Amino acid sequence: MTLMEYFSFLPYGKYAFYVWSAYGVAFITVATLFIRARSHHKQTLITLSNKYSRQND
Amino acid sequence: MWKWIQRQASPKVFYRTCTKLTPWFLIPFIVLGVVGLYWALVVSPADYQQGDGYRIIYIHVPSAIMSMTVYGIMAIAGGIGLIWQIKMAEVVAKVSAPIGAAFTIIALATGSIWGKPMWGTWWVWDARLTSELILLFLYLAYMSLNNAFDNPRTAAKASSILAIVGLVNLPIIHYSVKWWNTLHQGYTVGTGGLKDPDMGIALGIMFLVFVLLYAALVTIKAKTEVLTREQNSRWVKDLVNGERS
Repeated sequence: MTLMEYFSFLPYGKYAFYVWSAYGVAFITVATLFIRARSHHKQTLITLSNKYSRQND
Repeated sequence: MWKWIQRQASPKVFYRTCTKLTPWFLIPFIVLGVVGLYWALVVSPADYQQGDGYRIIYIHVPSAIMSMTVYGIMAIAGGIGLIWQIKMAEVVAKVSAPIGAAFTIIALATGSIWGKPMWGTWWVWDARLTSELILLFLYLAYMSLNNAFDNPRTAAKASSILAIVGLVNLPIIHYSVKWWNTLHQGYTVGTGGLKDPDMGIALGIMFLVFVLLYAALVTIKAKTEVLTREQNSRWVKDLVNGERS
């Protein structure tokens, strides 16, 4: 059984595997961009605030 | 308007503008994203040749166009930074690179997944595919060059020159399907390739979604970059201490 047949129960039948995996890849990439941007911002705030508190000591 | 743009050269003003603009890009991105996906996956009909397999076009084409547009923006912003020494232009160029690289990855990955059922292969060394892959390498080279320097100004100068030289690749990607006899199909948009008006609408919305995505991410990422660069100024100290307390 090929991948094409295995996923054919999903919408778009014989193309289901390809269509959904393409949309999945795009979704994961976009989600990663947002998650990374957010964590980078948080990390920067922590690093800077640590730096400033050291300067104040 | 011109005055407003000039004021954005100040890191503090630019930071505030980014904070204000983010929701104006992010909310339409989410709303249009849902509408666009509905139009692409439900409303638009199947293609007469490719059946439902063609639906990959709705992410493949917008991401490919944006991968090139973002590169153009990155090189122009880098150029503005080089010529007029505007630091905020350097910030825009720097934060655009990973976003553009992600768009290139989406374009390449979805294209490859589309190629398998239509061409029978995941990859061929065809002019369009190869030039798009070179675009990805240009983005990666830009990012690693930018990270190789401790001084952000030196990093911006070196990487901007690389970005400007790499601009030569953009027309190659665009005209590759015309100049060479490629396996990749020719132009779809503007040649009557989309037979149903719903297909055009879906593609239009999805393109807008990718533009908004880029804009939202730039405003989010630029803020972090401004904080890092301006960490020794008073307003950043006040802002960081205010947010952390």
